[in-house]
Amino acid sequence: MHPTAPRPSPAAPTAPAPAVEVHDLRRSYGDFEAVRGISFEVRPGEVFALLGVNGAGKTSALEVLEGLAPAGGGTVRVLGADPVRERSRVRPHLGVLLQSSGLPGDLTVTETLRTWAGTLSDPRPVEEALEQVQLTGRADVRVRSLSGGERRRLDLALALLGRPTVVVLDEPTTGLDPESRRQVWRLVHDLVADGAAVVLTTHHLEEAEELADRVAVLRAGQIVLAGTQAEIAETQPATIRFTLDDDAPQPPLPAAAQVVDRGRRTEWHTRALQPVLAELLAWAAEHRVVLRELEARAASLEQAFLAVAAGTESTPAGSARADSTRAVTAPAA
Amino acid sequence: MTSTLTPPSTTAGPSRVRRVGALARGELRLFLRNRTAVVNSVVLPLLLVGAVPALDLGGDLPLGPQLLTSAVGVTLVFLTYYNLVATFVSRREDLVLQRMRTGELTGPEVLLGTAAPSLLVTLGQVALVAVGVTALGEWSAPVDPVLPLVALLGGMAVVSVLAVASTLFTRTPESAQITTLPLMLASTSLSGLLYPISGFPDTLATVARLLPVTPVIELLQLGLAGRTWDGDVVDAGGAWSAAGLPLAVLAGWLVVGLVAARGFRWAPRR
Repeated sequence: MHPTAPRPSPAAPTAPAPAVEVHDLRRSYGDFEAVRGISFEVRPGEVFALLGVNGAGKTSALEVLEGLAPAGGGTVRVLGADPVRERSRVRPHLGVLLQSSGLPGDLTVTETLRTWAGTLSDPRPVEEALEQVQLTGRADVRVRSLSGGERRRLDLALALLGRPTVVVLDEPTTGLDPESRRQVWRLVHDLVADGAAVVLTTHHLEEAEELADRVAVLRAGQIVLAGTQAEIAETQPATIRFTLDDDAPQPPLPAAAQVVDRGRRTEWHTRALQPVLAELLAWAAEHRVVLRELEARAASLEQAFLAVAAGTESTPAGSARADSTRAVTAPAA
Repeated sequence: MTSTLTPPSTTAGPSRVRRVGALARGELRLFLRNRTAVVNSVVLPLLLVGAVPALDLGGDLPLGPQLLTSAVGVTLVFLTYYNLVATFVSRREDLVLQRMRTGELTGPEVLLGTAAPSLLVTLGQVALVAVGVTALGEWSAPVDPVLPLVALLGGMAVVSVLAVASTLFTRTPESAQITTLPLMLASTSLSGLLYPISGFPDTLATVARLLPVTPVIELLQLGLAGRTWDGDVVDAGGAWSAAGLPLAVLAGWLVVGLVAARGFRWAPRR
């Protein structure tokens, strides 16, 4: 089907064909359905982040992309091919960083890279790989003696050794110190600049904010929110907070706002931040009321994530989910 | 930068042999750095090989073929099989196998590369004993040179797939000491390695001949000395006509092992 179809040239105005296509993916362990029908696409030069609390199904979903497990239902295509059944076509172009994986402790860093390079179609030079993850100075150290961060970077160098065009990173920076984390981020930026499609999972929202072009929030095996960071943030209302002096009158509540917390500190939620804020400020000016500790903030990815990821609040609205679906599939034509 | 999508293709990467070779070299290096493993693999089987004829448990093979037969039998059971179970399990529990599976190597290639040191040591041991036999002046031309080779290579294949299958009920490298016992005990006592099968009661002899290592011993004795399992002396033609059942049993265990090995788990149980 797809693999032999002519692809649009990079210069063509149309978006490039998706490098990863996941449609209605399902996976079960016995009676437990870990992944319950998720769909997404990732294009070359794009970072797609799957967010979710532990046990949301992120790793189970990625294992199918990685070709390590067959899909229980639905389809997964990597570069147009099935990663399990057409493994030999996909593998030379796929780089995988597992959430946890082992390395024999008694080989040196260079020996480990050289061994892995010997199994690949088009490996980058070992020296280049060492430089890429800044392990040149540790080249002759046995893996056993590396720090956790250094080992993770070696893991990453191995994942990228075959010059992959599709890269799957399962929690790439968990357990890394801030400096190593920034190094990994730089690497991911370089990868997408070179046209790779990157799928990553993380539970660091900061990481998703830094790296991801598009985000999907997974909860109990389903995507409950998806889209760009701005689109996701928009599913949540903006917040206005202020404190009134005891003798001050209460401002009238604008139609477009709801009161969340009325005590000494007032909190309003609204999907029309600017007009509501303007109304509030106009009222305050007119009545000469001081709004102490005034804050007005658009919703953040974190706020949206916290609202839906743990399931403390139901999905904001049916329309948000529909929006998110459109956001995911819109570029396809 | 332009973002091009490389269409998937079976690129002319390293051949299967070369990529398994790359993994095998890494594994061999690891093996040589583990002094305990080296000593266990080289010294213990040699001691056992020497002990078998010294026990003089009957059988009337000349010393040369007897030593070589013991060498193959002892190494396959105590070295190849046991080492492979322990290696596969420890690599699985250390999450090394799962990582290997994320690359271009196929599953069987990963296992073959991982098994390489044990398989090479097996061949080395047998060669060492052959040299020793020659040095002792006990070398005699085999009745048929093909049967012993089939026995050695077929035996390596059978114990390898059985080792893969044994990982299904082996959770840790330590527990391999227990889980490998059934095959080790049956193979040493009932394969003709220690006691000649011809001395067994009929029913027991029949059962013994159906066990996985017995055909290896039978084929070696047929090829090296022209002795059938029940003690007859035959020429090359006779050796081949007596080889039917052991060859079939060997092939049967290979199939059984391959089928069982399909249930191999690449990652620890969660």
